[in-house]
Amino acid sequence: MTVLGIPILTLIVFFPLAGVLALLLVPGQRARDLKLIANLVTGLEFLATLLILRGFNPASGDIQLIERVEWIKAFHVQYLMGIDGISLLLVLLTSLLTFIATLSSWEAVRDRLKEYYTFLLFLEVGMIGVFVSLDFILFYVFWEVMLVPMYFLIGIWGGERRLYAAIKFFLYTLFGSVMMLVAILVLYYHYHTFDTLAMLASGSTLPLALQSWVFLAFFLGFAIKVPIFPFHTWLPDAHVEAPTAASVLLAGVLLKMGAYGFVRFSLPLFPEASRKFVPLLIVLALVSIVYGALVSLMQKDMKKLIAYSSVSHMGFVMLGLFTFSPLAIKGAVLQMVNHGISTGALFLIVGIVYERRHTRLIADFGGLSERLPLYAAVFLIMAMSSIGLPGLNGFIGEFMILMGTWAVNWVWAAVAATGIILGAGYMLWLYQRVMFGRLDNPANQSLKDLTVREFATFLPLLVLAFWIGIFPKPFLNIIDKPVEKIVRIVNPGYFEKVP
Amino acid sequence: MEPLPSASDLIYFLPEIGLLIVAALSMFIHFAYRKRGHRRAGVVSLAGLSVVALILLLSPAGSGLLFSGHLAADPFSHFFKLVFLISGGLTIVLSFRFFDVEGSEPGEIYYLLPLTIIGMMVAVSSLDLVSTYVSFELFAIPSYVLAGIFKKDPRSAEAGIKYFFLGTLSSAFMLLGMTMVFGLTGATSYPGILQGLGHANGRVALAAMILFFVGLFFKAALVPFHMWAPDVYEGAPTPLVVFLSTAPKAAVFAIFIRILLGLFGRFEAQWSLILQAVALLTMFWGNIAALSQQNVKRLMAYSSMAHAGYLAIGLAAWGETARLAVLFYIFVYVFMNAAAFGLVLLIRKGAGFGEEVSDLRGLARRAPLAAGCILILLLSLTGIPPTAGFMGKYFLFAAAVEKGMILLAAAGALNSVISLFYYFRIGRAIFMEEESGSVRIETSTPVLSVLGVTALILLLFGILPFLLINLASTAGLTAG
Repeated sequence: MTVLGIPILTLIVFFPLAGVLALLLVPGQRARDLKLIANLVTGLEFLATLLILRGFNPASGDIQLIERVEWIKAFHVQYLMGIDGISLLLVLLTSLLTFIATLSSWEAVRDRLKEYYTFLLFLEVGMIGVFVSLDFILFYVFWEVMLVPMYFLIGIWGGERRLYAAIKFFLYTLFGSVMMLVAILVLYYHYHTFDTLAMLASGSTLPLALQSWVFLAFFLGFAIKVPIFPFHTWLPDAHVEAPTAASVLLAGVLLKMGAYGFVRFSLPLFPEASRKFVPLLIVLALVSIVYGALVSLMQKDMKKLIAYSSVSHMGFVMLGLFTFSPLAIKGAVLQMVNHGISTGALFLIVGIVYERRHTRLIADFGGLSERLPLYAAVFLIMAMSSIGLPGLNGFIGEFMILMGTWAVNWVWAAVAATGIILGAGYMLWLYQRVMFGRLDNPANQSLKDLTVREFATFLPLLVLAFWIGIFPKPFLNIIDKPVEKIVRIVNPGYFEKVP
Repeated sequence: MEPLPSASDLIYFLPEIGLLIVAALSMFIHFAYRKRGHRRAGVVSLAGLSVVALILLLSPAGSGLLFSGHLAADPFSHFFKLVFLISGGLTIVLSFRFFDVEGSEPGEIYYLLPLTIIGMMVAVSSLDLVSTYVSFELFAIPSYVLAGIFKKDPRSAEAGIKYFFLGTLSSAFMLLGMTMVFGLTGATSYPGILQGLGHANGRVALAAMILFFVGLFFKAALVPFHMWAPDVYEGAPTPLVVFLSTAPKAAVFAIFIRILLGLFGRFEAQWSLILQAVALLTMFWGNIAALSQQNVKRLMAYSSMAHAGYLAIGLAAWGETARLAVLFYIFVYVFMNAAAFGLVLLIRKGAGFGEEVSDLRGLARRAPLAAGCILILLLSLTGIPPTAGFMGKYFLFAAAVEKGMILLAAAGALNSVISLFYYFRIGRAIFMEEESGSVRIETSTPVLSVLGVTALILLLFGILPFLLINLASTAGLTAG
């Protein structure tokens, strides 16, 4: 499938670079033009990603729209891209959230706009590239390319401790990725290709000992990104210091990459090792769920609270993936999208009061619902979505994960369920302290409600939250077959028991 | 035995002859013009190097032997000759800026450089112990002079002396090794030695090899023979550091490649082990020592040591993949190092240049273009795609994994992470911190052009590495 003569996946990956070019041509003082270009490009990019749906067959579990070109012949590296239901959902999520993040920066960012939007667009290239690459070296290139703009977004436009948070984020994630690179090379000398499709098709499995090492190296790369306890310590720092748009993308997209890596590469390529490490992964996932939730309860800073809640929510995703049941894995994939929607929105919500009051401390607020009714409504819906209230998106994902897990091991499900209860606790308590009570802080008296532009940034997220909550079928349909395919590899016993 | 080289041999020797003419011309110009003679000499030398590079690119890369088998005119030596010319050219361009500011421009450097390069060219083509040693000294001695040429600055004089004494000492070790090799085999030509060593006394031969290596390790500043490097690189005039930290190292790696299998093929297990240890030590030492440096030149001195360590991985894992990897990385390394030391020349502080990391603060606002180039450079130095530095490291690690040295590759990868920390202290100063006022940032054309060319090359070979691979693979095939 081509658009304007360019293969669609190449187009959607590199289209933001056209925006970068345009930005470079506009003088730095013309702030309005810079903003317009960035918003236009990310908006068009979202529309372009929607075009994929035209050429995509949702009934197939196979990789589609494959683009394959020889890249580095001497090392058998290919420029290989393709997409299936799982990556499609994440690509759409990425382009939507990037557009929203760009729009939300309109007023919030005033300094060094040209560089800001350039980094944002580069970030988008890296993020979308990760989700469509199927050659390990190409994948790795995008995986790393993405770190650089994020480092600068945090480091230049971040909060007080931005320098520390930025380098910590960079060091942690780079450490994980280079170990993955070594594992990729080990794989290469086993399969003599970097083509993951060929690796899957060849069927020649690695010896278990080697597979375990490779699995662990990939685990390091992905687990830091997710992040799973105990690799999460970069996350609160990065989230708290990052500017709002970067927080949204960090939570909404970057955290998904770790989980995506597990589901796309670790499970199908190292099935035996995946099975072997189930106890480790499940324990870490459960600890993440409970620990993340407990720590969230104690936070005084709204952004930090939401950051730790991400650790808990991503624990659910990991739990779902490593039960190897189709229901739970589908729930996990859907939950990745849900988390992107609800946590992305929550960071925007915090960003809006921060922009007005320059504080994020819960104690500085109270009774805001009086002055900001629209804001209060949006906040409430998104808080409920994050808790998992039936009728909203979070419920579907968590419910599927718990159902699937219960069938495998009810103890895991029981522990995970406490995470949901704690989640309701910290989220409602946060809402109560910020929104209800008396508006006694004089600084909050003159706060303004959402503007039209601000409400517009939330609108798509609100629609999606209800859509997935009420009628998730279209979303589940496109991931149905790809997930089944993965389960057949990693847990072949499942389909024998349940015909 | 032919008494005289035949005319067809001399065709392959054109670059060396050309450089000799360039050196003579440049010297003549230097003395002929009283006013600004040194700068004219520099321009002549730069033009000469470009012409020689052109001749080199156009002349056939045969596989013939010259001068009764003393020298080889193969694509391998061709490749390295090009690397030396590039390194020399970048050095001259940066010298223009450096001496514009510092004054008292020594015109001698402009003809010492071509002479040094001749020595290196012969060294990388040499297939005979005697010509290897002679050419080794032929480039070593002028490089001592280059390090100490800036008489105004006591640091430069100290650098020259230090480099000279330790350099001669290591040459002596190397010579001793060579003598033992000759004593064991009675031959000076590489093929003859290879044959002779096959049934020589193993222990003595091994000792000879180690002594030989010591001299080479010293010149390439590999741990534990690196102590001179930070002092010399910090003290010598910045543009000359660009040359001294790249060209001699490239020459040494070329000699290594010639002798590893060509002379000491019998000891492959031993030298691989030695080189693994050296690679590990050098990477960790260079990177860890760089962490605490505040002076950019000294920081880059340690960083360039670390990069030699990465290259040593390739030697330790010598094979099909390593050939490519080492040549690729050396080519990229020359540009990276030139830009890394060159960026200091953007910052004016007092009468000279600001060399502290903190002097770079606010560069992104003052000179956004230069800052962009430096960002690409830093990414490449760290080994982050889409830059040539990433591709180079990836090839080197691949070579190590191919030979089963997975832990060595992992150690190399870990070192990239360590290096991120100090490279991005520079990035932080440039992009995230505010100007400190005590320095002036000047966008000088020579420096900008070096940074710009480097950034372009790093991106080009980072995205389309096969362009350079083709060049490197034809060159790599005929060595060792």
